[in-house]
Amino acid sequence: MKFKTNIMCGDCIKKVTPYLNKTVGDTNWSVDTKDPKKILTVENESVKSDDVVNSLAAAGYKAEKI
Amino acid sequence: MQSTMDKKRSVRKNFPVLNMSCASCAASSQSMLENLPGILNVSVNYANGNAAVEYLPDEIQPQEMQKALQSVGYDLLIEDENNSRGKLEEIEMKSYQSLRRRTFLAIILSVPLILIGMIFMNIPYADYIMWVLATPIVFIFGRQFFSGAWKQLKHGKANMDTLVAMSTGIAYFFSVFNILYPSFWTSRDIAPHVYFEAAGVIIAFILIGKLLEARAKGSTSSAIKKLIGLQPNTVMKVVEDGSIITFPIAAVEVGDELVVKPGEKIAVDGNVSSGNSFVDESMITGEPVAVEKMKNSPVFAGTINQKGSFRFVAGKVGSDTLLAQIISMVRDAQGSRAPVQKLVDKIAGIFVPVVIVISLISLVLWIIFGGNSGLVHGLLAMVTVLVIACPCALGLATPTAIMVGMGKGAENGILIKDAESLETTKKVNALVLDKTGTITEGKPVVAGQFWLDHRFETELASLEKISGHPLAEAVIEAFPKEYAAVSAFENIPGAGVSGEIDGKIYFAGNAKLIRDNRISMDVSINDKAEAFLKKAYTIVYFADKDRVLGIIGITDKIKDSAVEAIRQLKKENINLYLLTGDHDSSAIAVGKFVGIDSVRSEMLPEDKRDFVKQLQREGKTVAMVGDGINDSAALAQANISIAMGKGSDVALDVARMAIISNDLRKIPQAFSLSRITVATIKQNLFWAFIYNVIGIPLAAGILYPVNGFLLNPMIAGAAMALSSVSVVTNSLRLKTRKLVL
Repeated sequence: MKFKTNIMCGDCIKKVTPYLNKTVGDTNWSVDTKDPKKILTVENESVKSDDVVNSLAAAGYKAEKI
Repeated sequence: MQSTMDKKRSVRKNFPVLNMSCASCAASSQSMLENLPGILNVSVNYANGNAAVEYLPDEIQPQEMQKALQSVGYDLLIEDENNSRGKLEEIEMKSYQSLRRRTFLAIILSVPLILIGMIFMNIPYADYIMWVLATPIVFIFGRQFFSGAWKQLKHGKANMDTLVAMSTGIAYFFSVFNILYPSFWTSRDIAPHVYFEAAGVIIAFILIGKLLEARAKGSTSSAIKKLIGLQPNTVMKVVEDGSIITFPIAAVEVGDELVVKPGEKIAVDGNVSSGNSFVDESMITGEPVAVEKMKNSPVFAGTINQKGSFRFVAGKVGSDTLLAQIISMVRDAQGSRAPVQKLVDKIAGIFVPVVIVISLISLVLWIIFGGNSGLVHGLLAMVTVLVIACPCALGLATPTAIMVGMGKGAENGILIKDAESLETTKKVNALVLDKTGTITEGKPVVAGQFWLDHRFETELASLEKISGHPLAEAVIEAFPKEYAAVSAFENIPGAGVSGEIDGKIYFAGNAKLIRDNRISMDVSINDKAEAFLKKAYTIVYFADKDRVLGIIGITDKIKDSAVEAIRQLKKENINLYLLTGDHDSSAIAVGKFVGIDSVRSEMLPEDKRDFVKQLQREGKTVAMVGDGINDSAALAQANISIAMGKGSDVALDVARMAIISNDLRKIPQAFSLSRITVATIKQNLFWAFIYNVIGIPLAAGILYPVNGFLLNPMIAGAAMALSSVSVVTNSLRLKTRKLVL
């Protein structure tokens, strides 16, 4: 699954890491900060996209499924 | 290392940076900008969301900085809004300066032209010198008349440009022909006159008139800028973890929770989520009293929070806010105004074909009755009729009257920003008035009191002094300034306040406060309250825990001059309308008192504008009088807009007339001023034309059979001088006339 986010930079990744690790699993996600859309790629297909969005919201970030 | 050269050329600016979600975003956007060429210094602050940049404008522009940041997902807020306005002002400025330059050059060349033409006509090569002097005047400085006349001709029409171009063009070429081929005339015993100075002076004078008109024209208003300035640049936003950060207003989104402290401007539209306060909404609704805001109350961008603090959730942001809509309404109305056709152009449009017909008739008559040299005389007659046709004071008739009229207005406290308003005012047949601040003072005052026996003024004033309620001001003003100590003060939202003074508990507030605390009301108090309500007063009840001790009636007082002014206006046969954003009851009461039958209340800014539009659609010429921001869209839409001097900056900017004092009787005075100014313009046009009109038959040869008299440059010069002097004198006469009240 891919999401457009506002996970802007390395530090932001650090902030969301604990949340995403809990929801998706530590090796199953990555963020491309070089892309202006800050694409979050989630490898774990069994996770519901709503859960990803909510968990990012709890960390203080936005996500939009694309 | 920065050289001193760099320092001189560098520019320092602040831009809001958007999409930063944490402190390290600030760091990465900063390093992104630092690496761009031309950036001397940049520091990005996460807390206030701002980038302070020092850069060399020759090497980099804000747009490039914006692109760089956008490529990594951030954004830079560049003010493009004010730039587009600036362009328009620049263009206007340039065309004004070009006009001024041409006018002065034309004058400078005209002076020797007149001297030679009238006095030194016998110096060697006089004619050739005049030819050289006249050529640039006619073809370079005066070219706007020729291009204007051509445009009119393409539509088969004529205006002032046509008259000027025709007369000066023919004068010029006729004179050139006479220099090069005088024998055509001398062989027939006709003196080959040269009319260069007529051509030059006409152009110079008409240009002077145009310059005066341009100066009297109102400049592009800064009202839009002021409206935009009502919003704060930054907001205090509540973020996920509950902390509050400063955030640029442009980045606020629907659903964001914002904090508002006492005295702050509200940034966007929304609904209160917690806290309570009073908010001054007069700029949007016109209500003079601040409105109480509690949970779920709506709040609007541009309004001002009073003494409390609260949080609200953003509902409408950016161009969706009510304020943004007012701004675009004003802008649209200002842009769509069509210029009124000038009286001078109308007259010229008829005069030109008439003169051409006269010149042809004279040609024909000469051919028929002129004998041998009939054709030649006829040609001479035809040409000279056209030469004498254009009055040199034509261009001065309107601007001189307008200038004196505007000056007279200013002397009487009526500021007129543009000429068109002065001319159009007398045509007004519908006048729309705002209520608050226009017909009323705009400030709540105590209008009546009723006490059961003892007057508890000190106690009430003491409670009000602490309360921070908007009506408190009125009460405090009305009572002696001695206060008692208050303990156990309590503010009850939506009801009022209570406090303990000298061991006794007192309450001050509205009917709800009395009911909730089961305080009894004497019959006499009740009756008085009803009487107050009939007059649309707002009532403050003062009580102890057993009974109501007294009531205060507060209202927005109607201006003393209002009744008289309305009476005067009614005599003018103008339909009067009263519009307000306030409630029905006060609107109707005010309308009754001053004598206006058509009253509309609870009107939003766009309702007021639509009302004006509707009247215009019915074919009426509408004047609008207002003082608030909520009037600005209607003011921009109206044909004539008048702002009260004590009103908001925005209204003063949008309106094309302003009344400096708050005296409404100035409005009928403005009508009187407009009438006499237009009368003066018409008189001026008469004086401008009359001498030339007398000259036309002379040019056609009416006196030839009598004494051989034909047109010569002296006569042309005399006509020009007389018409100019008459016009200017008549305009100055306007100064001495009194404005009838």
